[in-house]
Amino acid sequence: MMKELKEHIIRRVKANFTEAEENNDFTYDRLDFTVKKEVVPSLLLFLKEEMGFKHLSHASCVDWLEEGELELVFILWSPKDKIKVFVRTRLDRDNPVMDNMDNIWPQLHTYEREFREMFGVQFTGLEAPDEFILEDWQGPPPFRRDFDTAAYAEKTFWHRPGREDAQDVRETIANRDGEDIPDFAKKYSR
Amino acid sequence: MREKATTLYLGPQHPGITGNMMVRLKVEGDTIVKATTEVGYLHRAFEKLQERRNWLQAFTLLCRFCVPEPDPVEESYARAVELLEGREVPERAKYIRVLMLELARMGAYMLWYGGQNGSLGLYTMGQWSVGDRNYILDLFEELTGGRVYHMYIWPGGVRRDLPEGFADKVLRTMDYFEKRLKDYDDLMFDNTIFQKRTQGIGIVPKEKAVEWGVVGPILRGCGIKSDIRIDDPYEVYDKLDFVVPTHEGGDIWSRALVRREEVRQSIRIIRQVIEKMPSGEIYNKIPNPHKWALPKGDAYARTEAVRGEVGMYIVSDGSTHPRRTHFRGAAYVHAITLLEKVLVGANVADVSAIMNSLGTCPPEIER
Amino acid sequence: MINDKNSQKIVDIIQNWARKHSIWVLGYGTGCGAIEIPPTMTSRYDAERLGVRGAATPRQADVLLITGYLTTKTLKRVIRVYEQMQDPKYVIGFGSCTINGGMYYDSYNTIKVLDKYLPVDVYINGCMPRPEAVLSGFGQLQKRIAEGRADGAKQYKENLEWYRANQKKIIPNWVMPEYNW
Repeated sequence: MMKELKEHIIRRVKANFTEAEENNDFTYDRLDFTVKKEVVPSLLLFLKEEMGFKHLSHASCVDWLEEGELELVFILWSPKDKIKVFVRTRLDRDNPVMDNMDNIWPQLHTYEREFREMFGVQFTGLEAPDEFILEDWQGPPPFRRDFDTAAYAEKTFWHRPGREDAQDVRETIANRDGEDIPDFAKKYSR
Repeated sequence: MREKATTLYLGPQHPGITGNMMVRLKVEGDTIVKATTEVGYLHRAFEKLQERRNWLQAFTLLCRFCVPEPDPVEESYARAVELLEGREVPERAKYIRVLMLELARMGAYMLWYGGQNGSLGLYTMGQWSVGDRNYILDLFEELTGGRVYHMYIWPGGVRRDLPEGFADKVLRTMDYFEKRLKDYDDLMFDNTIFQKRTQGIGIVPKEKAVEWGVVGPILRGCGIKSDIRIDDPYEVYDKLDFVVPTHEGGDIWSRALVRREEVRQSIRIIRQVIEKMPSGEIYNKIPNPHKWALPKGDAYARTEAVRGEVGMYIVSDGSTHPRRTHFRGAAYVHAITLLEKVLVGANVADVSAIMNSLGTCPPEIER
Repeated sequence: MINDKNSQKIVDIIQNWARKHSIWVLGYGTGCGAIEIPPTMTSRYDAERLGVRGAATPRQADVLLITGYLTTKTLKRVIRVYEQMQDPKYVIGFGSCTINGGMYYDSYNTIKVLDKYLPVDVYINGCMPRPEAVLSGFGQLQKRIAEGRADGAKQYKENLEWYRANQKKIIPNWVMPEYNW
């Protein structure tokens, strides 16, 4: 029953989008299509209007640094047929440009703003302020894998010494309040 | 004569706001003509930090995603990892997970009782329900060691078996809550102020709801029956008997009625879980976490939380560290695109009631 | 009479005694620690019996409770809120992440040590601190107020330049009014 349904959906999609690469092994409870980025809006619209995938469950962006690509994933859910479908596309990492799709689902607007800020994906026609989550950010898009958050934090913020074994912290806190360090803790103190 | 529009900033420091976020309101007189949400005050870059930790260390960050109800996040991550790896979970662990999830649901609804009434100026309810929530937190504390952060539902099962006499304590707590919920009804739902302030306020249109990404109790408050526990069953929800309540209307009042009924259904589920729980193993042991590599691929697991559908999307490149984790929070949709639409035409005084009713939870928006 | 040293001492003692029994906490949940504040304030733990209660605006509040990590975006708002508050004012750092960054030690968006940016009178450690720990923290603050040792605001005024330099290092775009009371 589920298998028939899946085959039906795959047939319909293949008939309309001949170059859609399907990657289904029927063990997971989901369908999986990979397409070129130009086809994504029309495939999403087709799935939503014709196939009953009314609900956009999730959208995500994955950085494949070694392959020089960014992957966009859209996860749709059909309330009628109770099945998930994944739509994937790959963008060039150096120049990631994508069409704006917030007219299909209004909530995609938020996702697109996040991907623009965190991964540097440009959506042509997206009307929104540049800043979404970050403020006065001057570095590269922080969720890209070549951005080293630990090195940045080390450089930018002041770190309390003794963090490795928490000994100084214990002593500082105890000294400030004029408390004695209990005997059991003394041997850990410097 | 047309009134001049004024800009009002609600938050981030405002007693009526649900968490650390801001809503910029353009008002004419008392009526809102445009609302813009501004978030980012709580961005800790969890998903970036998880890339630097291995699959088990990444799990410890999870409960900070949404503090009022952290267990669904843990559960969705654990299940996504299990889905990707093909790891079986013992039957008893599944029952304990459902027990945890439902207790967490009740705890979060107790906070909601307080918040929803507090946003309307009815502070007694908060004293009662938040005080009573401590009884649930006591159960959590005995089981997991923590009141708020549990880190209990982890990949492979759960961390600890139920202590001796725990089931009786749960049942006694449920008895107490059943008695108590009648008092809540008297104070809240029979209260004329509450009725007048919520009926017909903050309406989510039914015909647009699914398309706008509305989920959970807000969608059920529009009269659409949708619940991941039924639609896409996980753990052992398909073996349990419970009702998914719906109410027509789409306003704060009908959402409150849905939630009122859901607390009762949670009690029902917890009783069934305790009754049906099999004995046996609780944990399918994972290998040494420092060498634990997941196969290449991705997985997405969804869980029904009080705010609606939450989900965890994980991508593995075959190494010991996640390539990408991405959390889907219900408030990501509710508090931004939906809130901006619902607030138009509303009264300034109703903003915090509407925000509470939509289940706004800023930490899960920006993570 | 006030210039007399001994009389001033008596006035101080009375003042501090009064202050320590009316600690109004600003209702600003800056981080995840805000989740343990409702239980602390409500029926089981009932902080109001110690004179601790919520205040809606910075001008009415005595204590700024920093409930957990501060992102750089929030830090800007918190500094502004702190400078709006009127004397006497105190800061409580709540949770491990205000002390040394906690689990966010490698995050690019959160500060690691609060007392570099604001004068902290009392730290409450733990993640998450229990309501008992919160009450104990308030008790510690009361003790320090009674002894006249909770002088964070005075230090902030005296070392304003040092604090400003630290703050401006994190917040590049500094467009804030100067409060000079």
